[in-house]
Amino acid sequence: MISISHLSKTYHNPDGSTLQVLRDVNCEINKGEVISIIGPSGTGKSTLLRAMNLLDPPTGGSILFDGEDILAKDYPVHKLRQKMGMVFQNFNLFEHMTVLENVMYAPCKILKMSLEEAREEALSLLRKVGLADRGDDYPSNLSGGQKQRVAIARCLAMKPQVILFDEPTSALDPTMVGEVLSVIRQLAAEGMTMLIVTHLMKFARDVSTRIFYMQDGIIYEDGTPEQVFEKPRRSATKAFVQRIRKQVFEIDNSEFDFRGMESTIRAFCIKYNIADRCDRAIEITDLMQEVVMSKYMPYTLRITHSELSGESAVDFMVEGLENSPMKDPAVDSAFLKKLKALSSDIVEEPTTRGFRIKIIL
Amino acid sequence: MKRFGTIVLSLLLLSSCGAEKSRNLDIRSEADLSGLRVATITGSSYEMDLSKRDDISLTCYNATSDLLQALLTGKADVIVHDEVVFNPRIRKENGIKIAFLSERTSATALMFNKSDSELAEACSKVQRRMFDDGSMQRLKDFWLEGEYFRTGELKHIPDEGTGEPLRVATCASSAPLSFYVDGEWYGIEMDLVRELGRELGRPLDIKYYDTGSCIMTLKTGIADVLCGCIFITPEREEQFCFAEPYHYYHPAYFVLDPDADKEQLSIWEWIKKSIQKTFITENRWKFITRGLWATLRITILAILLGSLLGALLYRMKISRHPIDRVIARLYNSFISGIPQLVLLLILFYIVFARSSVPPDLVAVIAFAMYFASSAASIYDTSLSAIPRGQTEAGLALGFTKVQTFMQIVLPQAIRQALPLFKGQCISLLKGTSIVGYIAINDLTRAGDLIRARTFDALVPLLLITILYFIMVWLIGILLNLLYPKKHVL
Repeated sequence: MISISHLSKTYHNPDGSTLQVLRDVNCEINKGEVISIIGPSGTGKSTLLRAMNLLDPPTGGSILFDGEDILAKDYPVHKLRQKMGMVFQNFNLFEHMTVLENVMYAPCKILKMSLEEAREEALSLLRKVGLADRGDDYPSNLSGGQKQRVAIARCLAMKPQVILFDEPTSALDPTMVGEVLSVIRQLAAEGMTMLIVTHLMKFARDVSTRIFYMQDGIIYEDGTPEQVFEKPRRSATKAFVQRIRKQVFEIDNSEFDFRGMESTIRAFCIKYNIADRCDRAIEITDLMQEVVMSKYMPYTLRITHSELSGESAVDFMVEGLENSPMKDPAVDSAFLKKLKALSSDIVEEPTTRGFRIKIIL
Repeated sequence: MKRFGTIVLSLLLLSSCGAEKSRNLDIRSEADLSGLRVATITGSSYEMDLSKRDDISLTCYNATSDLLQALLTGKADVIVHDEVVFNPRIRKENGIKIAFLSERTSATALMFNKSDSELAEACSKVQRRMFDDGSMQRLKDFWLEGEYFRTGELKHIPDEGTGEPLRVATCASSAPLSFYVDGEWYGIEMDLVRELGRELGRPLDIKYYDTGSCIMTLKTGIADVLCGCIFITPEREEQFCFAEPYHYYHPAYFVLDPDADKEQLSIWEWIKKSIQKTFITENRWKFITRGLWATLRITILAILLGSLLGALLYRMKISRHPIDRVIARLYNSFISGIPQLVLLLILFYIVFARSSVPPDLVAVIAFAMYFASSAASIYDTSLSAIPRGQTEAGLALGFTKVQTFMQIVLPQAIRQALPLFKGQCISLLKGTSIVGYIAINDLTRAGDLIRARTFDALVPLLLITILYFIMVWLIGILLNLLYPKKHVL
């Protein structure tokens, strides 16, 4: 369906310097594929999408859409974009139109659909994204998740053959990510061809038929989710997909700002979508500090989360210690019972630097 | 509405009570002026003489009517003007008297450009003939002592001639020198230039300029002959060329007459009389209708032209080429650094001085130049307030660039721009009140012309205020029609 070869994109800054964002992108995209594009920030993931529908025209290479060269001079770009929808990070709903008008506008004006037909169509699309009752509202009255669902409906109204999602959940409050993802999942199930730039590894693995791992302006690794996430061929890919998110606190005396730590932990949990584990994590740090760790200061506290496995943990590390602090007489069975109720496992391990207690949430 | 009525009524009362406290001033010579507040006409030779004295406080007014008001409202103790300007009829109506008549007389003549001495000579020849055949005497009898004095009757010699018009500038709108009634100029000096026109076979093109800018019209070649009681002074003779003097005017010192039996009118009679003399007599309402039309015409054309120029300026402002951007910036700083009146005068007296561009068009250009600058920044603010994402969303749906701009960006930008645009239109409308300086009889000037005839300030000014108010209101209504429809489909 889409064939991209040797695609490159170089930005020329006003000061004369240049920035090559895409170096040499080659890929084939077939009908029905759901491709997630992952990779570190600034490696050209969004630029690739924007180059494909010519919002940021590439500076080299070729793109064939159904065998037609869309970079040819006289190629009608707006016709291409009618077949290739796009959903933006910031929704970009038309603020002066109602929700229903947002969805109806392009079909009426471009496809010359009758008002009646367009309204029917728009209502059924809004029903599909769960917003049929908000048709007369203006976008400013909607939440972020609702706006993005309207944007998806607006895109679908043009009956595109492929949809490009440019970080569709990045601008959303974490509590609203789910509603948008479920709409995208539904589209995947219906066989819509999609390219999705995302930072959500778990979602990418679940929904995609194929993963592009991008780095340094090229598609560094291209494979099925199983292959890219479980058995990555290249070390950079491995490091990226298996990376562990963490937040570190150095607790050196009893004057430490525990309240500040609590709110940082909350922010961490919300950011990585593990808000349900937040209260337990905080309760564990309080309990441990109170009963055990106050005697072992200074120590290092970490909260970690692996996006791929979904495993989160709180660990306590005391440098230069050989025996587990859990052997302390203050650790009685009541305390251990309490701790086990909050966690799924407790690992005590000596390391080269000292002794670590890892409590898996 | 009730409050508005109260304000109007108290204004009326104030103005009619203005002249109550009058004291008997005994002035027999110029020395007696010491310590008094004296007022006269701007740019007159009286001003030059009186300003040399430091024992009086001198104020100057541009118009005869304002001068009289200054005396009537107690802003001045004595006013100085030509004896004939406030003739016995006017003196009686307003309760003023001549305190004393100066012995010194001022030789008065028509003034020409230095390079136009032939025209001045022709004028002198006409005057000599008129003195010889007695027609000059008849003219003076009529305007300075005769029928006009007694009855206010008007007449003038008809215009003749088919040649190039003789462009006459007058800086006086006061009887009996030169004054405007129902679309025609009257007065002794007007009859003089008409005689000159007949002699030369040229029709007249008479325009009334502000005292301050009048002299410039000769200098810059906008007018061929200047009148309005111009005294021959050595300074003027150096730069200009005079015809022979046709009359020697006496300066008179006018004061309030405490013995005058001013008729006591009830408020309603007073209003009735004011309206009668402001609108009905001599068809003075025509000043208002013509002025209204001139103001509207200039405002609307300037808004249209300025909006287009503004679009061009905006294009240059956001252009890729640095030269365009520099030009746009220079233009903006030029416009923001120059007062509207100064720009108007520069365009009229310098840029278009020798061309045949009518004053109306000069005014439209001047105001459009201003409007363009603010329109460009309105376009800029309102378009840049629309996020780039709106354009991208339009393009990504399959609209062309033009469709995206016209159907998605513009309707949103217009919503942002209209309140600002409305404000600029209104200030343009009010700003046009200075076009009188280039001899356009707009609404404000209409009020001046009426006041020059009636010596009453309140009613014309009040009416003009109300008319400006209505125009501002109408502009608001008209522009609201431009709001995009609430629903796009």
